[in-house]
Amino acid sequence: MRRTTALVSAVLVVLTAGCGVTVPTDPEGTLERVRGGQLRVGVTVREPWTSLPDGDDAPPEGREVDLVVAFAEHLDAEVEWQVGSEEQLVAALEEGDVEMLVGGLTASSPWSSRVALTRPYVTVPDEHGDEENHVMATRAGENAFLVELERFLVAQDVQQDVGGLP
Amino acid sequence: MTRRFGSTELPAEQEQALRRAVRLAWLTIGFLVTAIVLMYLVMGSSQAMRTAWAEDLLSLIPPTAFLVATHVTRRRPSPRHPYGYHRSVGVGHLVAGTALLTMGALLVWESASSLLAQEHPPVGVLVVLDQPVWSGWLMIAVLAYTAVPPVLLGRAKLPLARTLHDRVLYADADMNRADWLTAVAGIVGVLGIGVGLWWADATAALVISFSILKDGVSNVRTATVALMDARATTVDGDEVHPLVAQVDAHLAGVPWVADGRVRLRDEGHVFHAECFVVPRAGHAPTLEDLTALVRDVSDLDWKLQDVVVAPVPVLPEELESRTATGGDDRSTRHDAA
Repeated sequence: MRRTTALVSAVLVVLTAGCGVTVPTDPEGTLERVRGGQLRVGVTVREPWTSLPDGDDAPPEGREVDLVVAFAEHLDAEVEWQVGSEEQLVAALEEGDVEMLVGGLTASSPWSSRVALTRPYVTVPDEHGDEENHVMATRAGENAFLVELERFLVAQDVQQDVGGLP
Repeated sequence: MTRRFGSTELPAEQEQALRRAVRLAWLTIGFLVTAIVLMYLVMGSSQAMRTAWAEDLLSLIPPTAFLVATHVTRRRPSPRHPYGYHRSVGVGHLVAGTALLTMGALLVWESASSLLAQEHPPVGVLVVLDQPVWSGWLMIAVLAYTAVPPVLLGRAKLPLARTLHDRVLYADADMNRADWLTAVAGIVGVLGIGVGLWWADATAALVISFSILKDGVSNVRTATVALMDARATTVDGDEVHPLVAQVDAHLAGVPWVADGRVRLRDEGHVFHAECFVVPRAGHAPTLEDLTALVRDVSDLDWKLQDVVVAPVPVLPEELESRTATGGDDRSTRHDAA
């Protein structure tokens, strides 16, 4: 048994250090592609998190939009917005046509089996006063990108005051 | 308090073994509860992790079955239950085996379908002490924690299972001993996710579920064979129990017996023994002869209980052929394994 443990650790070391692979890694290389390039973001309207004051073709606004813009800056990337319905955008996410999706999604989103939801980055009461855990969605299995976004959101330390927004 | 199996008072060695086994069963349950809680906290969407978690949940059944069975077998035989309650061990064993079999099949199906559907497991970060940590590392840490204790527990239980002739305990010990493989498979699966091999997770889950399924099949088989009153075997089900030959040899040594064979029924823990004896020509056994033989056979081993001596003109066919077809032992041996 001890030998097996040693073997496993050896494999671990070779896999992580030897090949210069960071853990976790994206199977489709999302994070590498986005860094210094383009961040394609699907957006559905759910105020105050996301809104389209000037129509579909103008840049969206809102709390989550600001976060995405800051995240893109952090990655030195340019944001390309794609407006659509959640169902369209989830399909686009699965195909890899967008890297992430925002629109006031919560941890209880029914899409959770098809996309990777981030850990809740803020909890606010909804219109009925129930606590809602707000999340963003990334392409399932692109774990380096997911971890990068989650770390970014943790570092932002988003406060609950957004609940007071109109 | 003297421990007992029905009306059998246990010899010192067995009594001590039983006490230790009960303690180990509680220890196993305690460990499993910590493992189940820890794994639940970190498991996320890893299929391998969920399967390993399910296995840990299932691992609660054998020690629980053991504790319940040892509690029930302590009851003395009654008018309603003239054979005592020993069969509770067999029932517990069958229940444990069936649970493993069903869950194993279910998990094989689940992991195979997520492999076919090419599901990419998302594994993000958890915040531990204000630090975001990739949950894969936490999963690996918890899996590593679950790797070693079961092996030690299994090793400690195995000799006790032999001493007590307890199949549930044996099955439990055997599964514990192989449990580190689950942890290693799980770790490989999570590491696979880490390096971007999405299929590694479902593949590891498939390996783990197959091992659960295999445990289920072998346990259901041994339990069924025992409940079907197959000839008494050693606790692992691999060999004919040595007491069969021992009692036969004793019968052959009795002066008034021309020919004698025992039919041993494994009740779980204890054997019920029916000794068929053909008296020598012209020697009708007296009541004293018969009573003395019953006592002597009972004294051979603590496991021999409810010994009956039946004088017969000829031995039952299936017992007589035992020595004649000694070679068939080998061919049927694997049935019981």
